[in-house]
Amino acid sequence: MAKLEILHFPDPRLRTRALPVPVVDAAIRQLIDDMFETMYAAPGIGLAATQIDFHQRLLVVDVSEEKDQPLVFINPEILLRDGVEEMEEGCLSVPGIYDKVQRAERIKVRALDRDGQTFELEADGLLAVCIQHEIDHLDGKLFVDYLSNLKRQRIRKKLEKARRQGEPDPVAEHGETAL
Amino acid sequence: MPAETVSARTLAAKAVQQVVQEGRSLSQCLPALLAQAAPIDRSLTQELAYGVLRWHARLQQQLQQLLSHPLKAKDQDIGCLLLVGLYQLIHTAIPPHAAVHATVEAVRATGKRWAVPLANAVLRAYQRRQTELEARADAQPTSRYAHPDWLIEMLRADWPQDWQAILTANNERPPFVLRVNTRQGEVASYRAALQAEGMQNTTLSVAEQALRLDQPVAVERLPGFADGAVSVQDAAAQLAAQLLDVHAGMRVLDACAAPGGKTSHILERSPELAELVAVEIDPARVPRIEQNLQRLGLSAQIIIGDASRPDSWWDGRQFERILLDAPCSATGVIRRHPDIKSLRRTADLEDLTVTQSDLLDAMWPLLAPGGMLLYATCSVLRRENEQQIERFLQRHPDAQEAELRVAWVVDWGRQVSHGRQILPGAAGGDMDMDGFYYASLIKRCEDS
Repeated sequence: MAKLEILHFPDPRLRTRALPVPVVDAAIRQLIDDMFETMYAAPGIGLAATQIDFHQRLLVVDVSEEKDQPLVFINPEILLRDGVEEMEEGCLSVPGIYDKVQRAERIKVRALDRDGQTFELEADGLLAVCIQHEIDHLDGKLFVDYLSNLKRQRIRKKLEKARRQGEPDPVAEHGETAL
Repeated sequence: MPAETVSARTLAAKAVQQVVQEGRSLSQCLPALLAQAAPIDRSLTQELAYGVLRWHARLQQQLQQLLSHPLKAKDQDIGCLLLVGLYQLIHTAIPPHAAVHATVEAVRATGKRWAVPLANAVLRAYQRRQTELEARADAQPTSRYAHPDWLIEMLRADWPQDWQAILTANNERPPFVLRVNTRQGEVASYRAALQAEGMQNTTLSVAEQALRLDQPVAVERLPGFADGAVSVQDAAAQLAAQLLDVHAGMRVLDACAAPGGKTSHILERSPELAELVAVEIDPARVPRIEQNLQRLGLSAQIIIGDASRPDSWWDGRQFERILLDAPCSATGVIRRHPDIKSLRRTADLEDLTVTQSDLLDAMWPLLAPGGMLLYATCSVLRRENEQQIERFLQRHPDAQEAELRVAWVVDWGRQVSHGRQILPGAAGGDMDMDGFYYASLIKRCEDS
């Protein structure tokens, strides 16, 4: 297993439209494991392949409190959408930024699982929001796209500045001490 | 999408509350709290928790004056958030409006709506009355030095010339000191590797493998850290392996080994040892020793056992060198662990001095004639240090004190009646080391 690097807005690679996964093989399963490790370490509840610079339609999700309900969606399609819900969203590719986004309240999704088997799932609440958010990534779309131009520019500047400063660590782990 | 995270102010206040109310140490409670922070907020959370505990006695005194009546016991969460708020206003570059806003939001998030106007009022009143409140805080020793009274008194008695400098040094931020693993490469070449990364650093004449970084960094960013090229350890602690003066073929005992910093340093310096036995009483801390040794590519025989009861683990073969890095008040490393000021009690000191003398007595029979026992503490209190050795020498006529030499530096720390004392930071001179004490005890050969 390996932790992967997550791309950060405004990296242009986040705008790539992903192609379908042609075959669910051992390499894809390895990638899925690495994506879970990366997501849990972040810590996150969802991660799309686009965010780790792999441009096939694949995402992983776990919205459970105990982090024991991993879900894999390969080549996902949303079959039904119902209702409207507004939730505060963030994104591992847009660290530290949170804002309200409107999405469908309930969805029905069809996808392949990690063995390449087709399944369908109905979701609502946080899970529904998370799946929609991650599928957006596969289409090169970010949650900040739903915000006003002004807000998006402000976020872009803030993240570019944070990157330049390299996030100093004022009280870095002192590790070994005499205690 | 990121997992739901908790704000830096909320987490820092929780850390402060767990230390002050529940008596847990920051190193115990902070990791679980940091895991709930957004990655971008982790360093701020840590800075706020350490900062509030560094200035806790002073901030608390100021908060009392800003409250018309004290908070109830069940509202200490609000009290801790207000301390976090005050700390930001006084000690950080966070713009005051942002500090107030973020703190008030954290108060709102507790669900105690009555406290929202209170938080606004307290923080704004501080801004208005800053000059007066700071002057009042300076007027009393506890708030002026941000240390408990008993410790100020004890330091004043032990160090009549230096107590103020010690208290001041304890409230400074500690330097970030590395120890180069010379099994993997020269100090000079690691220095160059750091400089290539833009990490400016200086050597320290007294500690041979030490480099002090100008700016602290996360350890993962240090070149070769994961592969064991380097460790983080203060220069004062690095003197232990130098003073122990081990040679090829010796059997060496590290009696209180966790987290293994000194154990691994001894092995890095002396690959030809016959054996190094590392004893640790707390099983929970043994994995830290193992991880450190493994990262550095070293191995030692680790025994989980009580060093004060060697009959339960000792095989009867004596050691030529024993390092006794004894449990102590840790009053020399307050700048690294400001929570010590809230956690330590005078009663602990009595227990600790008993433990120390028990350990000294228990270790002595394990030392071979002609061998050396190095006694070390990270304390600056005489009762744990020179007075402890004084009593030991009275109890053990076959013990003799030896000179403490490090490298070519003749004068380091401070010669006291027995052993040498390093005072912390600027109180100890321009080496800027942690407060430490060392004494070297030699067992006389029977025929001499």
